[in-house]
Amino acid sequence: MARKINKQEVIVTGFGGQGIVLAGKILGMAAALGDHKESTLVQSYGPESRGGACCAQVIISDRVIQYPYVNMADVLVCMSQSAYEKYKDQIKPEGYLITDKDLVKPDGRREVFDIPATRMAEELGRKMMANIIMLGFVTAVSTLVSEKAAREAVNSSVPKGTEEMNLKAFTKGFEYGLSKLKGKEKKAAGKTGAIA
Amino acid sequence: MTKRQQTIPEPRNRESVEFGLIMENYNIILFLCNWGPHAAYQQLQDNGYQIPPEVKMVRIPCTGRISKALLFKAFEMGADGVAIVGCNSGACRYGSGTLTAENNTEDTRSIIDLLGMGKERMRLATFLPDESGALKTFLADFCEEIKAMGKSPVLPSASRPPETSGESVRQILARYDANSCQDCGKCTASCPLALSGKAYSPRNLVSDIIRGNDTAGKINADIHACLTCGICYERCPSNVNFPEFIRDMRCILNRDGEGSDRTQPHGGFFQSLMRTMTSPAILPDRWKWLPEDIQTDPDGKILFFGGCAPYFDAFFKKHQQVNTVDIIADALRLLNFFDVRPRLMEAERCCGHDLLWSGDRTNFLRLAKLNTEMIRDLGIETVITACPECYHTMSLEYPKNGIQPGFTVMHLYTFLEHEIDKGAVTFKPLPHRITYQDSCRMNRMEEIRDLPRKLIQRLSVEQFREMKDSGLSALCCGNCAWTGCDAYTKALQVKRIRQAHDTGSDLMVTSCPKCQIHLRCAMEDPFQEAELKMEMTDLTSLIARTICWE
Ligand code: SF4
Ligand code: SF4
Ligand code: SF4
Repeated sequence: MARKINKQEVIVTGFGGQGIVLAGKILGMAAALGDHKESTLVQSYGPESRGGACCAQVIISDRVIQYPYVNMADVLVCMSQSAYEKYKDQIKPEGYLITDKDLVKPDGRREVFDIPATRMAEELGRKMMANIIMLGFVTAVSTLVSEKAAREAVNSSVPKGTEEMNLKAFTKGFEYGLSKLKGKEKKAAGKTGAIA
Repeated sequence: MTKRQQTIPEPRNRESVEFGLIMENYNIILFLCNWGPHAAYQQLQDNGYQIPPEVKMVRIPCTGRISKALLFKAFEMGADGVAIVGCNSGACRYGSGTLTAENNTEDTRSIIDLLGMGKERMRLATFLPDESGALKTFLADFCEEIKAMGKSPVLPSASRPPETSGESVRQILARYDANSCQDCGKCTASCPLALSGKAYSPRNLVSDIIRGNDTAGKINADIHACLTCGICYERCPSNVNFPEFIRDMRCILNRDGEGSDRTQPHGGFFQSLMRTMTSPAILPDRWKWLPEDIQTDPDGKILFFGGCAPYFDAFFKKHQQVNTVDIIADALRLLNFFDVRPRLMEAERCCGHDLLWSGDRTNFLRLAKLNTEMIRDLGIETVITACPECYHTMSLEYPKNGIQPGFTVMHLYTFLEHEIDKGAVTFKPLPHRITYQDSCRMNRMEEIRDLPRKLIQRLSVEQFREMKDSGLSALCCGNCAWTGCDAYTKALQVKRIRQAHDTGSDLMVTSCPKCQIHLRCAMEDPFQEAELKMEMTDLTSLIARTICWE
């Protein structure tokens, strides 16, 4: 308990067009505006994004952030296989790996929190909203931002007229996340099914 | 039959109880076989022995002839105890009488036990002609025990004023706009009873009633034959709600004493059971079978309403392997799976569906009032049930009959779809090819057709195929509200089961416990058993068995 600085570093990655940077931006905004913390956002353009991988680095902290780049993430969110391959080693041993279940096949070396965000977005009729579903999921399974802050940030960041749809997508992801946590807890207690 | 019923005593004298007089009249019915034990009984009388005054003896030809319905009816009419006394097993003049009586007694005892009346109120004993001493001890003993238990909590429904107002046939014709019938015959052409060859035509029935023909005889019988399945209503161009029209006609006939007990299968046992539950003092003990792994919350705001499955299982124990309480247990397990620990109502009564649909509105209203009052007193906000009839009745019929529940009624499938749709759960593979039997209450009356199918699509089965008649045109399981079971409904059931086999399935999935009971009954045909047998499971159980966290 010596120096408990509450600082969490996040890498959100996927391929161009998935709304990765917007997801990072909403996360940072939620922390700063809703939860009144410090946050930074670095979007990587440049050579590394050429392979199709796109990346947003977010830091959320109680104190002023001196250096905005993330080397080793507390939370790594991967929405494509290539992004996963590229960033899978940039995660702390105790960090969280979060993936799109249908788009990423992890190597099985660590525990994963996965959600079929793209499929769920398609079921909602908007593939583009996969990032918002993912955001809802991340909000539920991690301690990065509060639900209220995340919702407000979604509401103010998405194009006018699409708020309701996006909030619905957020709820989908969030509830999936809560179910996932419940499932993990139950499995840990040895209860996998309904019949003992 | 009527003579015998007259020998069953009048309902006990309430006034003497109310005025606090200790002189309580106990009524103990003794069904006494004409052969062995009657000789012993006579010997007692010949020897000047005073039979205890509370014992009312009914002389019968054989204990095996006293059905569960007759045994139970004695309690319904206010008996405090019932003894059935016959010959020793080997001495039965007809061979199997005593054995039948043993079975009937055992089943009836478990049912009065579920009702919380105590199974000790019923006894079976056998005596040889020369065992008058033993018979004397038995009678004294039994009277002693019944008095120690106190009066029966049953308040005979016939002793109370009816709860319905006088409605005329005319009013009912107007309500369902039956006069707009175009005589097109689409109803008869789609009616599964007519299609099974029964000389029965909803079209004729409507016009007969419109013409004011006497409701006795054939018309009365037809009104009680309808399955209230609702296919005809789907087809009717004039939108005549035939099943509800029939229901209200039954209520009129019943009110006027023209209700037909003869059309009630199992001797009217179930109607009798449900009427008994209208006694406010009955305190059912219906949850004692609950498996230990199920978690409930005695202070919760969500109530799980179980339905009558425990009574059905007790009644049909020896005929079919019905185990419809499994559906209740599995429904509770599914709620627990999603962290809902519901409250259970100790004194839960029948929802009243079968009484209403067999024409007894008075007692339906009594049940409806008792249930809603008790649920409201517990501060319940939501009632969840897995039974289509309970769901339909509580959510729709209660308000329609002027009883505002004040809580939300939800079918388990709605809850499940909502939870499963959140994600993170999956289903273990189930090595079965399945087909689905629609429940008429959920399918045509509540328009809940797609929901069970959506849940079925989530399962991981080898194959799911619809039967030839499914959804809106699905065939009835052959009975509704324990009214009108005959050779034609049997033919209908056989047709339905064949349709299920034709899908190439090895498992029929049901959503109503009664579909299982009635269809299983048809499968028991000794001549066609091998051809008809098919495994049946309720959708709730199937989900409970295979659901798991991802
Ligand atoms: S409700 Fe069913 S059984 Fe009754 S008349 Fe209509 S189709 Fe026939
Ligand atoms: S389908 Fe309707 S209109 Fe046609 S005969 Fe039957 S009740 Fe009359
Ligand atoms: S089908 Fe069988 S179980 Fe159903 S009412 Fe008829 S006899 Fe009874």
